[in-house]
Amino acid sequence: MNPFRVALAVARKDLRSEWRTREVVPALAQFIILALLIGNFGFQIDSRNATTIAPGILWLALVFAGLVAFGRTFAAEREQASLEAMLMTPASPVAIFAGKALAAGALLVICEAVLLPALSILFGTPFSGEVVAAVLLATFGMAALGVLFAAIVARVRARELLLPLLTLPLWIPFVIAGGVAVQSAMGLPGNYQQAIGLLIDFDILFVVLTSLAARFVLDE
Amino acid sequence: MTYLVLAYAFAVVLLGGYVFWSLRTLRELERRQ
Amino acid sequence: MNRYEKAAAAAVALMLVAAGAIFLYAPGDALQGPVQRIFYLHVSSAIAAYGCFAVVLVGGIIYLRNESPVADRFARAGALVGVVFTTVTLVMGMLWAKPIWGSFWTWDARLTSTLVLWIIYAGYLLVRRLAEPGRQAARIAAVVGIFGFIDVPVVHFSVTWWRTQHPGPIVVNNALPAEMLATFLFTLACTLVLAAVLIAIRYRIETLLDAKVAIAEPAKLVSAQQPEAAP
Repeated sequence: MNPFRVALAVARKDLRSEWRTREVVPALAQFIILALLIGNFGFQIDSRNATTIAPGILWLALVFAGLVAFGRTFAAEREQASLEAMLMTPASPVAIFAGKALAAGALLVICEAVLLPALSILFGTPFSGEVVAAVLLATFGMAALGVLFAAIVARVRARELLLPLLTLPLWIPFVIAGGVAVQSAMGLPGNYQQAIGLLIDFDILFVVLTSLAARFVLDE
Repeated sequence: MTYLVLAYAFAVVLLGGYVFWSLRTLRELERRQ
Repeated sequence: MNRYEKAAAAAVALMLVAAGAIFLYAPGDALQGPVQRIFYLHVSSAIAAYGCFAVVLVGGIIYLRNESPVADRFARAGALVGVVFTTVTLVMGMLWAKPIWGSFWTWDARLTSTLVLWIIYAGYLLVRRLAEPGRQAARIAAVVGIFGFIDVPVVHFSVTWWRTQHPGPIVVNNALPAEMLATFLFTLACTLVLAAVLIAIRYRIETLLDAKVAIAEPAKLVSAQQPEAAP
């Protein structure tokens, strides 16, 4: 079976299921707006410090939304024991993993379509293609890692506690590079090109590593 | 100076305690064999 | 005394000799004063911890290739001993930082990545505890251990890179005089011996724990097959 077809089929299934139920995206969008609100209060935002602090709030909101989104990636499979069924087909585990990562990543991207304009409106930050590019590049690598570890903890007790513990340390490089990229795109000091280059490097590194690991994690 | 003492006291307590605890656990497990 | 206890006694004796070297033989530091002596055990612990996590890495890789229980046990042992040594490193480092830098913590690359290291392998131990013991836990842990080992230099590099975006205070490094270097190398050797002994002891503990689980499982099956009255 063609792995690309398999991946796309899995992704399509997940996205279609989300489209029918419309559970995750609205909830996450609301969560993101609330996170921005709390950020405003927690950091005592006013017109002077808004642009300095906003990039930080962006990443906090994104990281926590990501944990929620990826934490749910295997929820349906767990409830219906369909993961074992998928793995019994000749489809490669890496393809299944790629499909799930694509779908979960797409859901997070949809939420970013809410996050970035909201940030711009509420905090007065510039909303440019450069900001979008940085966030999208980071999302790519973060999705690969998030979905891999979601698969790892899918059948473990206390998975909601373990997922952040395992995933956040690996997301740190993305938040660092993404943070500098967004900051510099918003007019604060920082080298945008370098940061984007670093994000691409991290994306490649972790997509390769997670693909190699997927075989051992999804194979049961 | 106090920091020096505190630092090494901590290391001794943690490492030494861990050595003792490990040996005790080993003793108990060997006994049950 | 069984042979593990003898080995432990020897390792502890060596550490006491190292302590003697640290406090009696090594010269004082002109700039930092007595607090500088923290460096000998602090750095040795850090290196011992990395060695332990390398054991976890290798054990994990070997386990994923051929499901060897020996490899998995070494990984378990390495993780636990490594977390202990990382704790020593972090706490001694913080106690050194307070008088020297004025605060217990800064977010420079080395401290940050060491903290991340601690968190990753503490997570490793948690996953082992919470996952179903046996094949599932071992596989999951192997992947976590491998990713953890790779992540730490990546985080270290990221923070270093980030720090050059935001220049901060420079830490002065001077080359070590001969007696200090000798003391350090000796302490390092003793600490590595201690780490090896602790891993060996823990490996033995894990072997015995595995044997206990193996005996318990058939017993569970038998009791599960107790005849029941038909409804």
